[in-house]
Amino acid sequence: MSEHIVSSFDEELNGISDGIITMGALVLEALKRVETTLKNNDHNLAQEIIDSDNQINDLGQSVENKVFNILASRQPMAVDLRLVFSAVKMALYLERCGDMCKGISKRIIKGALNEADSEDTINHLINMSIKVHSNLALVLDDYGNKNCQNALKVWRSDSEIDSLYSGVLTEILNAIKSNPDAINTLVPLLFIARYLERVGDQATNIAEETHFIVTGEDLTDEAKIQIENETTF
Amino acid sequence: MDITEGDIKINNQPIIHCSDVNVFYEEKQALFDVDLVINEKEVTSLIGPSGCGKSTFIRCLNRMNDVIETCSINGSIVINGQDIYDPEVDVVELRAKIGMVFQKPNPFPKSVYDNVAYGPKLHGKFLNKSDMNNKVEESLVRAGLWDEIKDRLNEPGTALSGGQQQRLCIARAIAVDPEIILMDEPCSALDPIATARIEELIDDLKVNYTIVIVTHSMQQAARVSQRTAFFHLGKLIEVGDTEKIFRSPENEQTEAYVTGRYG
Repeated sequence: MSEHIVSSFDEELNGISDGIITMGALVLEALKRVETTLKNNDHNLAQEIIDSDNQINDLGQSVENKVFNILASRQPMAVDLRLVFSAVKMALYLERCGDMCKGISKRIIKGALNEADSEDTINHLINMSIKVHSNLALVLDDYGNKNCQNALKVWRSDSEIDSLYSGVLTEILNAIKSNPDAINTLVPLLFIARYLERVGDQATNIAEETHFIVTGEDLTDEAKIQIENETTF
Repeated sequence: MDITEGDIKINNQPIIHCSDVNVFYEEKQALFDVDLVINEKEVTSLIGPSGCGKSTFIRCLNRMNDVIETCSINGSIVINGQDIYDPEVDVVELRAKIGMVFQKPNPFPKSVYDNVAYGPKLHGKFLNKSDMNNKVEESLVRAGLWDEIKDRLNEPGTALSGGQQQRLCIARAIAVDPEIILMDEPCSALDPIATARIEELIDDLKVNYTIVIVTHSMQQAARVSQRTAFFHLGKLIEVGDTEKIFRSPENEQTEAYVTGRYG
């Protein structure tokens, strides 16, 4: 699309997009650190993730303020309106992703990874975090490139994350059954799995928003059902 | 007004059918092969940059272009099954059925009462004083003006505020029982409060009348109309549900215009 007649309108819209892209980069960085923390049980790094969450929240607030101002001053239409409207939702999704990473880090600091018999489960959590990071990176790439080529791919891939989550859930529940005394150390792993699964869901939400911004159409239920059918077994 | 059946939107019945409409001012062509259907009892906005032909088009709908000697038109405009360019058509009657409100309020240099009564008198209606009083009151009520000026009926129409004058012009159009009201930038000379009153009025009027409005304000088109048509360089580029036009238009030129990327 060509530029607006009023160039400051372009600058304001770019300011919103840049805010989302920067938020996305920070969330991806936090997720990468979560992976490292899961691998190394690194409490210092976990604390860094917690500390850096404020930066994501501040950026989210900044995006909201910019949206507020642009709605009041420009009354955007069509693709601009879609971008502005979706930015509020995207900022919220990314803020939640940051919160999930923070939640995981808190559990790790409290000793979630200290249970010696949980190595397989922790490896599965690491796999989940890698998958979630990959999905989020794909949809944020789409957003930055103003296309939605990865939207359906991410939807498909999220089913794999859900399957990994189910697997981890079963593992942990079985471990609790066979060793009820370990419940206090195993339940935090359940939370970590749940948080990662939720970040995966946010990636699909972002995929939907990006699809809406680019095409003006919602990612149809038919398309989603088709994906679910393909991946249901 | 749309009737919603589940997820399917059904627009009202068509009342105006325009086919292959071409308009020329001497040699210069102002409209090119315009095909447009307008539905009854809803508001259709015509948008587009200056000189795109939207005013020329709206003036075709009640043959206002007839008064311009150099203007010629071909194609077909059928309203309620009647080709309005048929030589048999009485243009005065046609303009009673298809009223028009202009950019600048233009009340007659007469009293408020006489401004509204003028049309019915011209058409020989409501000759009884009491009936005429009722008609004037009804028209002013419908135009949302009665409460403000019921004690000023003998004052000159030109003494009213700009917004009141515009609503007086709408009352004047309504007084002759039109089916269609054409509005050519009716708010462009008004302040935001007067504009809001006119927009509120348009919303009320669409229950009984078909309204076609030319506007330069995208937001106004989005607020008041159910369908929107985008004109550019004399061509109808895109027409569709207003929500669709302002959310995700099909045509790139439409998108460029409504987002302010296009002069």
